[in-house]
Amino acid sequence: MGFNLDFALSTVPTIIGAIGTTLIATVLSCVGASVLGFTFEMIRRGGGATGLAVRFLIDFIRSTPVLAWLYFLYFVLPFYGIRLGAMTVGILGLSLYYSGYLAEVFKAGIDAIPRGQQEAARALSLTRRDTVVFVIAPQMLRNVAAPLGNYLVSILKATPYLAILAVPEMLGRAFDIASETYRYAEPLTVAGILFLALALLTSYGVKRIEQRLLAAGRR
Amino acid sequence: MSLLEIWLGILQGLGITAEVTAYGLVFAVPFALVFGVAQFLATGMTRFVVTAVIEFWRSSAVVILLFFFYYVLPVMGVTLSALTVSSLVLGLNAGGYASQAVRAGLQSLPPGQREAGMALGLSRPAILLLIELPQALVAMSPTFVNNLIQLVKATSLVSLVTLTDMTFRAKEIAQTDYDPVAIYSALLLAFFVVCYPIALAGRWLEARVNPERGTSRGI
Repeated sequence: MGFNLDFALSTVPTIIGAIGTTLIATVLSCVGASVLGFTFEMIRRGGGATGLAVRFLIDFIRSTPVLAWLYFLYFVLPFYGIRLGAMTVGILGLSLYYSGYLAEVFKAGIDAIPRGQQEAARALSLTRRDTVVFVIAPQMLRNVAAPLGNYLVSILKATPYLAILAVPEMLGRAFDIASETYRYAEPLTVAGILFLALALLTSYGVKRIEQRLLAAGRR
Repeated sequence: MSLLEIWLGILQGLGITAEVTAYGLVFAVPFALVFGVAQFLATGMTRFVVTAVIEFWRSSAVVILLFFFYYVLPVMGVTLSALTVSSLVLGLNAGGYASQAVRAGLQSLPPGQREAGMALGLSRPAILLLIELPQALVAMSPTFVNNLIQLVKATSLVSLVTLTDMTFRAKEIAQTDYDPVAIYSALLLAFFVVCYPIALAGRWLEARVNPERGTSRGI
């Protein structure tokens, strides 16, 4: 049985139909990972025993595969009576995994801010919270925009992992078609091309935004 | 099963994890060197083709690449073992990332290095091999360590194409023992034990190669 182009084309609408699920999973995981990563970085910066524990947690997350985290959450949460849908577990897993990386992005973004900024905030006797919200965060955001965009693309490329938890995103739909028809080559080819196109398009968009931010920063 | 038995059971898969990583490097290292250098040197149409090949391996989702080659190659009449397909796909994906480090390393060298080589009457290949590549590869070595860690972590995917790596062993044990907390914690710990020492080595390398950039980046 060779590659049947007509059959491949017939699978396109079904697989594209799941693009919404893929995009929602990408955006929610990216937001989750940013919030969690920023929180981790703030706790780590605070130092003390909690800071040290979070420092270890970040290293631990970054030394372990995303697939292992997805299995961990998928099988361990129900054991404690927490029953969530596969999509929720998947988004939680991607958020947790990428929070380890984004914590490092935020760290670099904060380290790049000149020390004088913090000292000036202290001289004005701003509270720690006000310093973070009004002095550090706005400057940090410009520093982290580019790497954050790259991680958005990485997270997009990680969403097919959710198919393993039977989330009906694009790869999941492709597998549904494959198991109904016993033909794997065509739906997987279509899913592969669609994901590649989506990833290239997203990274092009991220680069454009990056250039505009750079131009705005120079003004 | 006791916690220790579970952990030892999972470690039975370490051989396959190591094998896929090692064979993966056989594909990744030549790919990164050849395509990284080619992208640096080539112009016009050749550069476009080189970039297209790199982007195929780098911008595709690795989950999809693995399933794609596992299911589509046999349809094309190419039958490879699961081990070969996995090493090829994970290796070239990692090689795609590493090729960008090779190119960036070469591009960031001051032009005076090449000009000095030309002034000494060295040929272009001699300048590349004796002057540019050694400096670029040393400067980028921490990034290569990160790429290696990503490769080790990506080997968890081979459990989905029937290879009995650590992740596969964890799922096997989970079929006979209902103890998800212990099993999946042990799986995470097993990967941590493998990857964390590599990450520490990477930080040590980073501190030696780029003392001014600090030791914080790692993994």
